[in-house]
Amino acid sequence: ASDTSKEQAKYDLSSGSNKKVILLPCRNPPSRERVQLWLEARKQYESLQIGLL
Amino acid sequence: MTTLTRQDLNFGQVVADILCEFLEVAIHLILYVREVYPSGIFQKRKKYNVPVQMSCHPELNQYIQDTLHCVKPLIEKNDAEKVVVVIMDKEHHPVERFVFEMSQPPLLSISSDTLLSHVEQLLRAFILKISVCDAVLNNNPPGCSFSVLVHTRDAATRNMEKVQVIKDFPWIVADEQEAHMQEPRLIPLKTMTSDIVKMQLYVEERAQKT
Repeated sequence: ASDTSKEQAKYDLSSGSNKKVILLPCRNPPSRERVQLWLEARKQYESLQIGLL
Repeated sequence: MTTLTRQDLNFGQVVADILCEFLEVAIHLILYVREVYPSGIFQKRKKYNVPVQMSCHPELNQYIQDTLHCVKPLIEKNDAEKVVVVIMDKEHHPVERFVFEMSQPPLLSISSDTLLSHVEQLLRAFILKISVCDAVLNNNPPGCSFSVLVHTRDAATRNMEKVQVIKDFPWIVADEQEAHMQEPRLIPLKTMTSDIVKMQLYVEERAQKT
């Protein structure tokens, strides 16, 4: 009977119910280049706003 | 002084709220200190009564918020063993891993005063350590990006599924290359033990970054 329970425990672990997993998001964060472009556009917009005032 | 018991509050939810708020601040600060993004997108704010740098880039901020929104149900159920902020080089190989290892100790009762002031004090110390960690780390190569990994158990991922669908923010199982680093240098930054959460933060740094 103990062999059976050992086998069962082995099965439970291998079946994945209690298996450790490491997850990560499918989506990537914005790239540095994309953020740099946004920053430059914002600076241009701000200087334009100052010019209008 | 009010004493709270397990029946008064959902402790898991309280811990998840506190930790996710902290992780948001910590992720912004790591990205600033390790120069993952241009310093121009960061603004000085005050969190935990200390100055921190927070991004004002809407897409990046939303990304961090969505990530933590999905992680929150795991923390709530004490199913998130580690939350790792990985900084990767241009070839997507990890150069640094900021590992937040967390667990919720068994809890009988706590005082609300202790909860708020003591935990805030402990988290402040983490923030201060992150803000000066560049002194003990080598410079990263140019063009780095980042990702957030969660160490959990297969059965616990069900807690995430609903949030993933709502937020349209699906997660996948990380492969070996993303999850591990060969023979990293280990730099312990901070450890805390409180009534509601135990946490330690360390950095794994790749020996050769360039």
